[in-house]
Amino acid sequence: MAKQKNYGMVIDTRVCVACSACVYACKSENAVPEGFCRDWVVQETEGAYPRLRMENRSERCQHCANAPCVTYCPTGASHYSDGTVQVNSSRCTGCKACLAACPYDARYVHPDGYVDKCSLCKHRLDEGLDTACASVCPTASLNLVDYNDPEGKAEKMMAGKEVYRQKEHAGTNPSLYWISASNKPGA
Amino acid sequence: MTAETTAAATELVSTKMNPNVIPHLHIWEWHIPLYLFLGGIAGGLLVITSLMIIVKRKFGIGPKDEGDGCPCLAVRIGSLLSPALLGIGMLFLFLDLAHPLYVWAFYTTVQPTSPMSAGSWILIAFFPLAILQAALVNKKFLRERNIGIVNKLIDWTEDHLTVVALVNAHIGVGIGIYTGILLSFFSARPLWSSSILGMLFLVSGISSAAALMLLLAPDDEKPVYSMIDANAIWIELVVVGLFVLGGITGPANNSGAMMHLIAGNYPMAGLPYMLWFWGIFVALGLVIPLLLEFLEAAGVHIRFPQVAPVLVLVGGLVLRFLIVFAGQTYHTFM
Repeated sequence: MAKQKNYGMVIDTRVCVACSACVYACKSENAVPEGFCRDWVVQETEGAYPRLRMENRSERCQHCANAPCVTYCPTGASHYSDGTVQVNSSRCTGCKACLAACPYDARYVHPDGYVDKCSLCKHRLDEGLDTACASVCPTASLNLVDYNDPEGKAEKMMAGKEVYRQKEHAGTNPSLYWISASNKPGA
Repeated sequence: MTAETTAAATELVSTKMNPNVIPHLHIWEWHIPLYLFLGGIAGGLLVITSLMIIVKRKFGIGPKDEGDGCPCLAVRIGSLLSPALLGIGMLFLFLDLAHPLYVWAFYTTVQPTSPMSAGSWILIAFFPLAILQAALVNKKFLRERNIGIVNKLIDWTEDHLTVVALVNAHIGVGIGIYTGILLSFFSARPLWSSSILGMLFLVSGISSAAALMLLLAPDDEKPVYSMIDANAIWIELVVVGLFVLGGITGPANNSGAMMHLIAGNYPMAGLPYMLWFWGIFVALGLVIPLLLEFLEAAGVHIRFPQVAPVLVLVGGLVLRFLIVFAGQTYHTFM
């Protein structure tokens, strides 16, 4: 029997060029309403001229293994599924507690009256497809992974590199790993 | 440029645009603070009226009863107002939902880790016993109406008013604490993330409820509510002090959030938070009414005795708005 899936992402910021293709692919795939986004692109510049260091990255829901939104949701609308965090819109009252609970500010209130966010394209994963964002990423910065995959794709990608997770000290155990831009030659 | 800023300089450009979180959390406006205020008063009224009933029945202390098993006027009005105000508060809560028609979803599940799930069940548990108490303390007047089912209910429970009151005192405390706990479990929001917030909202609710009863009570019943209010206010002053100290001595997230509240110039209705907090909430809402009630108890004639309780009520309302707004305008947990 196949092991239970435990999806996540390994995001290689060394090759991200902040083109925003992931954002548009997501908007199109998930009919994200105008003025909102499930994923977004961040450019972080550190240091002082001329010694500057820039990291580009595509951000989204972290699909935490210990997700405060799921903990706090009063109706069970926010729930875990195969290592991802999903929102059942037919149980969501729009109380917005999950927005307050999320340390990553990854959620928004959909104009139709429920809370929405990145679903890691669960509807595509269930059909064996890649996420919309990863499928269009021109530099393979975005990588869908299954941490239970015996071939260990995630471990292989990250081996020997400086890898981090965002706000780990929030105790959320996020499922998104980031290969730091500081791994770039000359960084 | 100092060496420190040179080393720490970071520029972040993000394409995130969701208006609920950019430029800061923006999910709750006036509905929630108003609900927290009314819920606090409802809980406080239930605590005070229940204790007044128990103390009178068990120890004979308190204002003279109405007669025919009915307590004094303020207790009777307070018992009626408690479920009425909570009902109005819950209406605001309902209106705040992005999808109000799905409100049933709260009541087809129990989510043990969600304070809001616990709260939605406490709110429902509150009504039967609070309404029963409101009926029992006014039974003389209900009997006159002679409604069959109400008569039966009173016959069945009238010997147990003290038991009902004892349970209600606990439910009232539960409601009062819950209005604060609702916010304090959000570790992603540094201002709210303080477990003393439950106690702060409980004592604030009790003092607001005492102030309301002080306004409504006839002159001969007033002293007891003035005493309850004064005691609740000084306990609240201590709890506010602990809340502030706990914040500013905390780690960067919490101390920054507390400074955002107590020394911040972010405006609410045109005035900076700092002025709202110290000037309106602490000075006008706590210190001045405490002084006025102290002077009155000491025998000094106060020309407008309504001023103190009105200020307490304003202070309680301002506290809820300040905490809910300042908790959202400060940055997310870093």
